Amino acid sequence: MQNTNFSKIDGVIPKEVTIPSSVSEIQSFLRHVTKEKLSVIPAGSGSKLSIGNPPPQIDFLLTMKKFNKVVEYIPDDLTITVGSGMLLKDVQKILADNNQLLPTNPPYNNEATVGGIVATNSSGPHRLRYGATRDLILGLRVVQTNGTIIKAGGKVVKNVAGYDINKLYIASYGTLGIITEVSFKLFPKPAVERTMLLNFNQHGHALRTSTEIVKSQLLPVFVSFFSAGIPDTEVLEPCLLIGIDGHPKTVAWQIDQINSIANLNGVVQKEVYQDHKQSQLRSSLCAFPEGNGSNSAVVSRINIKPSNVGNFISSVLDLTSPFSTYVMSHIGNGIVYLILSDFTEEQIGLLANTLTVLRKQAVNIQGNLILEIAPLGLKNLMDVWGEVGQKSQLMTQIKSELDPANVLNPGRFVAGI
Amino acid sequence: MSKDEPLVLELIDLLGYENVIIDDISLKVYECDGAEFFKALPDVVVFPDSAEEISKIVKLANTYNKPYIARGAGTGLSGGTLPINAGIMIAMNKMDRILEVDLENRQAVIEPGVVNLMLTQAVQDKGYHYAPDPSSQQACSIGGNIAENSGGPHTLKYGVTTNHILGMEVVLPNGEIIEFGGPIEEDLGYDLRGLMIGSEGTLGIVTKAIVRLTRNPQAYYTMLGVFETIDNATNAVSNIIADGIVPAALEMMDNFVIRAVEAAFSWGLPTDAGAVLIVELDGVEVGMSDEADQIIRILEDHHTREVRTAKDDEDRKKLWTARKHAFGALGLLAPNYITQDGTVPRSQLPKMLQFVGEVSKKYDIPIANVFHAGDGNLHPIVLFDKRDSDQVERVHMVNKEILQACVDVGGTISGEHGIGVEKQEFMPLIFSEEDMDFMVTIRNIFNPKQLCNPKKIFPIDETIGVTP
Repeated sequence: MQNTNFSKIDGVIPKEVTIPSSVSEIQSFLRHVTKEKLSVIPAGSGSKLSIGNPPPQIDFLLTMKKFNKVVEYIPDDLTITVGSGMLLKDVQKILADNNQLLPTNPPYNNEATVGGIVATNSSGPHRLRYGATRDLILGLRVVQTNGTIIKAGGKVVKNVAGYDINKLYIASYGTLGIITEVSFKLFPKPAVERTMLLNFNQHGHALRTSTEIVKSQLLPVFVSFFSAGIPDTEVLEPCLLIGIDGHPKTVAWQIDQINSIANLNGVVQKEVYQDHKQSQLRSSLCAFPEGNGSNSAVVSRINIKPSNVGNFISSVLDLTSPFSTYVMSHIGNGIVYLILSDFTEEQIGLLANTLTVLRKQAVNIQGNLILEIAPLGLKNLMDVWGEVGQKSQLMTQIKSELDPANVLNPGRFVAGI
Repeated sequence: MSKDEPLVLELIDLLGYENVIIDDISLKVYECDGAEFFKALPDVVVFPDSAEEISKIVKLANTYNKPYIARGAGTGLSGGTLPINAGIMIAMNKMDRILEVDLENRQAVIEPGVVNLMLTQAVQDKGYHYAPDPSSQQACSIGGNIAENSGGPHTLKYGVTTNHILGMEVVLPNGEIIEFGGPIEEDLGYDLRGLMIGSEGTLGIVTKAIVRLTRNPQAYYTMLGVFETIDNATNAVSNIIADGIVPAALEMMDNFVIRAVEAAFSWGLPTDAGAVLIVELDGVEVGMSDEADQIIRILEDHHTREVRTAKDDEDRKKLWTARKHAFGALGLLAPNYITQDGTVPRSQLPKMLQFVGEVSKKYDIPIANVFHAGDGNLHPIVLFDKRDSDQVERVHMVNKEILQACVDVGGTISGEHGIGVEKQEFMPLIFSEEDMDFMVTIRNIFNPKQLCNPKKIFPIDETIGVTP
């Protein structure tokens, strides 16, 4: 995967990289940059720095990677509090030793830090069963631009004292404060995990199978659609990847049921995987192909109603024929990742037109289209986010109240924030 | 407020005479909510029928500089709908329509006055339900649930209100009608929908909501474990969670509650038991009895006297009715009660329950316990007679000591009932000045004139217009 490197974001080189190791360092740093009106891009490992409009300039890139320790883990409470710079995979390792897990499998699973996942509400296909990252967060600790530390939420699974300030920071893309600590609710590790791969020769068959599974009383962890096979496997046709976790008998029975549904809907080939092959397949849900051309792939994330996904994908496949097109969709949640590659510099205009048309189609059905990874040339032709409409005024007010000098990630978020 | 005051005339002009209440006797109905300890009369109660009407009412309130407050079914337990400083009460009861049910996308568009259980009843034949299920679900409105971010027994597995609301239409305190979120999972920009949920009606008035519907499970397995002591029952709860089992619900009732429930419902609970635990599994039928066996073994390890299993769906429903009406049943035991709502880390439950027992003895105030054990969400029900000022004073000490203890073991002062007026003085137990200043900053962005449900949540110095 193309990893946006700290050295350059949309062609802009940060003047300085700062790696604080204590909260008090962050406090004085933020007071300083606020006073001097210097711009700061907050980051964890940098895996999602490509998401955002091009920054005009970057005075500092601040990375939280030294906040990489467990603050408190009490397995019997099924909760954990960790430093925001901790890698998700390191958290999972500690949890696995206690037969527990944080049920999220977001993009860039191996490099992503907890703080980055929270700041972007990065959520993988497991959201079908467990909810998005948003739904797993119990509390945060945040340093504000004026240097004060605030706490949001807490460490217990139910908490309505005061406003739900967590929600303000989740998916705020580092524009409101620096998250230093995150508390999560945890789940017991299922006894058995299996992954089914169902191949089809028509998209429609795969999509129909998925819809049938999601509306049944079966409880898959994820049901994800791939338009043209799965990278690094022999599978080249449209297929579904389905996760079934839980009690061994429950898992076995559900696999049978899914096989029956698939048989009725034109499945061509079915396999059930475990162990190494399973991990390999599940990790394909967290990565996007890089493409072969001179430009790396453009990744868009579309969010629409689940019932609109089938038609939208057909429209995508029609409109994107000049490029190499790869679609992955977590259909039950209405999430579609569209990866376009193999285009030339001259085709960037066409690419922008195509994505603008698709964005309009998504907006017309009350959805949206975000550019997750795109070359600067494309970002210069279209906004990364799209319009937020009437809400922009409140959002701008929140931003200017919490970051009056506009130092955090200026210009990269929605509505010019 | 008299009939010929300009504000009243304008309200009547806007809504019609039949939708405006100003006579003192009718206003009395609106002087309190479920926290009946606190009382305050509104000047006027109005019954709008649309977001546009609410927007106009809010604009009038701004013009006349009058406070206003939205009220659903009035079942709140923290005085959140108490009209401090009087003003306009906006009753949402007429806005109770289910506007759209979209099973394909597992969502519905509703007005805020829709009663929680009515939504489930409207979709249950199709195999769906609305997951958050507060004990008051037969009466409470979803608008009120949104204001409080309500929970319920099954939130252990399914999450609380915020996990089930996709979008909403809101009338902001400046009268503007706006939408947050939508029929999809991820709106662009800051999650203002998430911020609204649990803001106790202080940031605006929700006039429409897009809610998630949940597919009904294929099967349930509902057990009732009977224990000699509350200690054994709470230890069993901690053990179940620590063993890696998250049931759909894990509820506990102590002897006090068992006796009250039996007197009212005769479900057949053993009135000599120290505590009972309701444990419910749901999901796919195959394999479920194995998990139930595992739970039964844990209950046995903690000296359960007996484990009963709901025979059929009717039996199960009866048990849940008994559980959900426990609060009402307790009303028979004392003239007044206050339900505490602190939440603690689950491993701290046995310790906390012991503490609640000690505090009850220390102040000679009876306390009953019926609570969401799996979430660590306590509901000590403090029974008293408010005519006895000495008791009232002791009740205050009881509340304070219990909430302080919850905070001391890493918990919080409210799991689902909200702060309202009941707990605003306790906010400093968990939040620093900076934390509260921050929240007030956010409130003032939405509600700068402090007319929208004023003087709630945060501690206030001046005497509030409340008659305890």
